[in-house]
Amino acid sequence: MGGNNTILKIMNLSKHFGALKAVDEVSFEVKKGEIIGLIGPNGAGKTTLTNLATGAYSKTDGKVIFKDLDISNLKPYQIARMGLTRTFQVVKPLIGMTVEENVLVGSLYGRDKRNTDMKNASKRAKEIIKLVGLESKKDFLVSDITLPDLKKMEFARVLAMEPEVVFLDEVMAGLNPTEVTEASILVKKIRLEKDLTIVYIEHIMKAVMGISDRIVVLHHGRKIVEGTPQEVVNDPAVVEAYLGKRYAKGIKEANNEG
Amino acid sequence: MSNNKKVNIFLLIIAVVLFIFLPRFLSGYMVRVITTIFMYAVIAQGMNIMSGYMGYLPFGNAMFFGIGAYVTAIGMSKGLPFLVVVPLAAITAILFSILLGLPVLRLRGHYFAIATIGMSAAILSVVKNATEITGGAMGTTLPIIDKDPSIVYNYFYLAMFGLMVITTLSLYFIIKSRFGFGIRSIKANEEAAISMGINTTYHKVVAWAISALFTSIAGALYAYWMSFIAPDEVFDVMIAVNTVVIMLIGGAGSILGPIIGAFIIELFAEVAWSAFLEYHLAALGIIIIIIVFFVPKGVSGTIADFIKRKKIRARKRVSI
Repeated sequence: MGGNNTILKIMNLSKHFGALKAVDEVSFEVKKGEIIGLIGPNGAGKTTLTNLATGAYSKTDGKVIFKDLDISNLKPYQIARMGLTRTFQVVKPLIGMTVEENVLVGSLYGRDKRNTDMKNASKRAKEIIKLVGLESKKDFLVSDITLPDLKKMEFARVLAMEPEVVFLDEVMAGLNPTEVTEASILVKKIRLEKDLTIVYIEHIMKAVMGISDRIVVLHHGRKIVEGTPQEVVNDPAVVEAYLGKRYAKGIKEANNEG
Repeated sequence: MSNNKKVNIFLLIIAVVLFIFLPRFLSGYMVRVITTIFMYAVIAQGMNIMSGYMGYLPFGNAMFFGIGAYVTAIGMSKGLPFLVVVPLAAITAILFSILLGLPVLRLRGHYFAIATIGMSAAILSVVKNATEITGGAMGTTLPIIDKDPSIVYNYFYLAMFGLMVITTLSLYFIIKSRFGFGIRSIKANEEAAISMGINTTYHKVVAWAISALFTSIAGALYAYWMSFIAPDEVFDVMIAVNTVVIMLIGGAGSILGPIIGAFIIELFAEVAWSAFLEYHLAALGIIIIIIVFFVPKGVSGTIADFIKRKKIRARKRVSI
């Protein structure tokens, strides 16, 4: 692994809150254009890892290399402008603004310097809103739209920043099965169109399986497994983390018999 | 430009012309009252950019008013002309806002508000005790313009009006700009703002510097207008309290809100003074409570909501 097309490298990254090791010496690499699933049970350290990579938390130890630069000491806004952005597990809309204005802020402050000009930024925001299918809602205040639309808006806002790598933190949380399917299709479509690299954070395994090229599994802050979706679902350590020791033992025995 | 916009600009120009000629029809007393209203509108715009648009309440902003007034007094006592002293006053206030803002703007919400009150009190006590420079607690005088008082008061009426128009127009363009979207994002959700590439520290410091600029020039004009200032008066916390009330009643986070609020509060205060000689503060307090309960978005916010609802209703009718 590695080579020239590695865009993001997490190296021995740790974050300790007092005695709690929320993220403990995690390492993995993300190649350009990949979708990496980052999964693990609640409290595994997925969101903490996102906060570390995007600069919202300062690390205890380790490095984050983005496009061959160590970004682990940079501020979140600097990292965002370099092209590494995120959505939030609990949506954080800019209250008091319309959908279009929210997306506009993304393009005004994003990676493309041409968009610091209001006219260009506004044109860009309109294109992105069309792309994610929010055109009919663009003049609505964000406080007046539904959760699935808010998630779309947040995705649009991130896209307007012209990112290269996006951390999608549980974008499916709170959506019903139909909406999850729709959102997955949207993410796949836009990823191809925009040549995005995506780190897809989920604790629902099923949602990640169909969409990821590779999966990294965290448990108690440590990386326990990394591999293709097939390798990961069949790994006893993953089954144990999700379903408990007894269930894992049962599967192992069943495998041995079969 | 849409027709609506043309009508609005036309109405604003008419209002400006009316205000320029208004003093001819008013008593000297009323001219001074309205000059005070303009002054409060300027200070309220300084509060509006910080609090109404960015969500940081600068309760100690009276310190910039005081700094503006004192730099003007000291500069003019050294023989400098007013037009040289005003930029000096503004630069001093901006420097203070940057030096104080860099550490204090890390605090959020109420902590920031309280910290600015502390700073204001600290500067007040320095001014009171540096007697050789400032004249101490007794205050200090400025040169008096050697002309008929009514003409002088008209000068200050026009100067304060011009200042109000300039600050309001600048705020309008600032809010429409990229920087304006930046500070509005900070109010909406600071965490989201910083993750969206907004350098929040820079935006906060610059916004406070603009706030200091507006407030200090109002202070400079006030000092020259009164030709006597005392520390307890120009650093008075009540200036900020009054301004917050004006901003809330007019509508925080709207361009014309502070002007509307200044007219409502100051004119009401005039009525309260004359009608309830002993209880005027109580009467003012009750009015404020009523407004906060029933018009929480302020006058301009409520009008904007009303227009929006009417538009939505009209749109619905069309779609049916």
